[in-house]
Amino acid sequence: MRKNKKLLTLLSMMLVLVLVAVGCGTSTETPDTGDATGEVKDTLIVGQGADVVSLDPHATNDQPSSRVSKQIYNTLVNQNEAMELEPGLAESWEKIDDLTWEFKLRQGVKFHNGEDFTANDVKFTLLRALESAKIGHIVGAINPEGIEVVDNHTIKIATNEPFAPLLAHLAHTAAGMLNEKAVTEGGENYAQNPVGTGPFKFQEWKTGESVTLTRNDDYFADKAKVKTVVFRNITENTARVIELETGGIDIAYDIPPTEVSRVEEDQNLVLLRDESLSTAYIGFNAGKEPYNDVRVRQAINYAIDTDSIVEAVYQGVGKAAKGPLGTNVFGAHTDLEQYGYNLEKAKELMKEAGYENGFKATIMTNENQQRMDIAEIVQNQLRDINIETEVQVVEWGTYLDETAAGKHDMFILGWTTVTGDADYGLYALFHSSQFGDAGNRTFWSNDKVDELLDAARVEADPAKRAEYYSEAQEIIREEAPWVFTYNGENLAGTRKNVKGFKQHPAGHHKLVSVYFE
Amino acid sequence: MSKIKTSNNQEEVKAVSKKKRSPWVEVWRRLRQNKSAMFGLAIIGLLVFCAIFADLIAPYGIDDQDLRARFITPSRDYLFGTDNFGRDILSRIIYGSRVSLQVGFIAVGISALTGGALGAIAGFYGGRLDNVIMRFVDILLAIPGILLAISIVSALGPGLQNVMIAVGIGSIPSYARIVRASVLSLRDQEFVEAAKAVGANDFRIISKHIIPNSMAPIIVQATLGVAGAILSAAGLSFIGLGIQPPTPEWGSMLSSGRQYLRDYWHIATFPGLAIMITIFALNLLGDGLRDALDPRLKS
Repeated sequence: MRKNKKLLTLLSMMLVLVLVAVGCGTSTETPDTGDATGEVKDTLIVGQGADVVSLDPHATNDQPSSRVSKQIYNTLVNQNEAMELEPGLAESWEKIDDLTWEFKLRQGVKFHNGEDFTANDVKFTLLRALESAKIGHIVGAINPEGIEVVDNHTIKIATNEPFAPLLAHLAHTAAGMLNEKAVTEGGENYAQNPVGTGPFKFQEWKTGESVTLTRNDDYFADKAKVKTVVFRNITENTARVIELETGGIDIAYDIPPTEVSRVEEDQNLVLLRDESLSTAYIGFNAGKEPYNDVRVRQAINYAIDTDSIVEAVYQGVGKAAKGPLGTNVFGAHTDLEQYGYNLEKAKELMKEAGYENGFKATIMTNENQQRMDIAEIVQNQLRDINIETEVQVVEWGTYLDETAAGKHDMFILGWTTVTGDADYGLYALFHSSQFGDAGNRTFWSNDKVDELLDAARVEADPAKRAEYYSEAQEIIREEAPWVFTYNGENLAGTRKNVKGFKQHPAGHHKLVSVYFE
Repeated sequence: MSKIKTSNNQEEVKAVSKKKRSPWVEVWRRLRQNKSAMFGLAIIGLLVFCAIFADLIAPYGIDDQDLRARFITPSRDYLFGTDNFGRDILSRIIYGSRVSLQVGFIAVGISALTGGALGAIAGFYGGRLDNVIMRFVDILLAIPGILLAISIVSALGPGLQNVMIAVGIGSIPSYARIVRASVLSLRDQEFVEAAKAVGANDFRIISKHIIPNSMAPIIVQATLGVAGAILSAAGLSFIGLGIQPPTPEWGSMLSSGRQYLRDYWHIATFPGLAIMITIFALNLLGDGLRDALDPRLKS
């Protein structure tokens, strides 16, 4: 009895707290919307699913942070929405020899703290990035000894080995240019006081809630159209969509597939659907029986109906994958034959492999609704070829550790080829040198694929590179270290009066050209 | 009222000569007069029936996915509709009653047995042992039950068994305190002294004389405890730490229905109702039992 009473008191206290919290929430919101209806709107509010981790681009590689960093920093080279390379902070570049590139930097560019942007900042940034545990791999091809400042606005960058996709890597949001003085002065607090050259300046970060940026009026290119951008953290998918519907936010990132039709049908909203660079896959631990048998891997590929997964899990958004790369990645083999659902063939292969009566397996994944849903469907469908599976949902850190250590049978994971180049989408995942934490969690390797991936990495001629990658993908498809599952789409919703918003395939959308009508 | 009282007294007088069939029959008689408690009991009975004969009652299997029949609203083929995998929700709720009842009863069993034993020992021996045990219980009591359960499940890993252990450990303190209190009041009564005088050892005294006489508060606490345990297990599953798929558990069904709430109300509603009704029924029964077991409370 006494316990019940305690519980009751606790509950009522919680209720009061919740009410207070809700009250606070609405009271801070109202002025925003109030402003909006009054005069010309110049505050853009963006809702995304998680808070920023850090605004030091070298301290994290997560999507929510990159989406904000993208507005604050510029990269030497830009990759536009069609994944074409464009000048950024570098006006032009030239390949001097197999290893070395020379970049001519734009003159008269100022950082938000008033400092001039020079070649020294580039050198400082790249050396600092190389040290980073989170994003070091993105610039990892660069030889730290080979960065040479020629003059204030010219720099030479050399790689350890010939590395064809260097420019795409330098266009990655994580390779944004930092100011040496700001970083040194900021010290440990730099992440809370980021300084870049981008169209927006950092203003405020309310942890767990929002990040506010203001227009950089000294921006070197076309200035931003809105005065203020607020990134709000709205974790719950449905809540984010409701905020968009009610006008609490102007743009909502990552509309959940379940809400697509609702946003589409709403006359006040616009839905943007674009193919993304992300893929979801079910990996096998090929270092372990029975997954070391290619027939078993193929059988499972045939036994899983990926089309129905796209329908059921993603509500028809995106498409079933044919191979390891999404079709908009450079070097993707677009004519691969999809495995397709074929139970007869699957049973036959299982019989050939000597597993007619199946086996027991675990499917590991993390707490990601879509992956857990996939796991449940796979579990159900594999029962038809007598494979009894247990689904293990583990915490993200544990998940990465266990799969890197090869303690898994099957696992469900995703990969985003942020650079839009096949090297990024294949090398880490299928090269034998990348076992474990580096990315190849299937522990599958193939000498020919190794050879092709190495060759394509150093080859300068794009046509030849594409050829190598095509061959590699054919082998990978045939050898099936994955169940090729899904190629994703970026889904965003905007209010109807938001114009000039385009999605970037890598998910880091530019906001400089967004305006209200 | 007064009639009941007098008959009660008469029975006590008779009990000296004819010992059998007195207290429990009387409790049952009183319980039967309580309509809401009987209503609760009927629902629990129905649930137990569902759990036992789930295979016969449920129109579909636990994990009969039909990806073409997703999100069907309640209809004749699917009384409660289908979920995002095209599984019949009614069948899953029926099978889910197995899990919930299992968790409820076993978790309470764990906590009542360990808590009861600890409390009995503490109360009977007193002194330093009492102090040590009760301080340990106080420590447990200081941690919110659900938080304790979450940390235990995170340590042991999710799954039916671990959920039962976690939920069970969380409610040990209340049993320990209840049993200790009633043991303290019984310890110096004449019948215990009599037993001692005859030469019964401590174990016999505790198990034969003290525990049976302190059953009433334990039964009440346990009935309410089952409700609490089911709720905690559902809560754990809701946040993904409980029973793993595809086992149907009401809490996880509710959780997975949440994302479709705006379009398909039925996915989350029925599991939610199932939890609600079960807890309601158990609470009614618990209240009724308390009144029936302790007539003093009523007057």
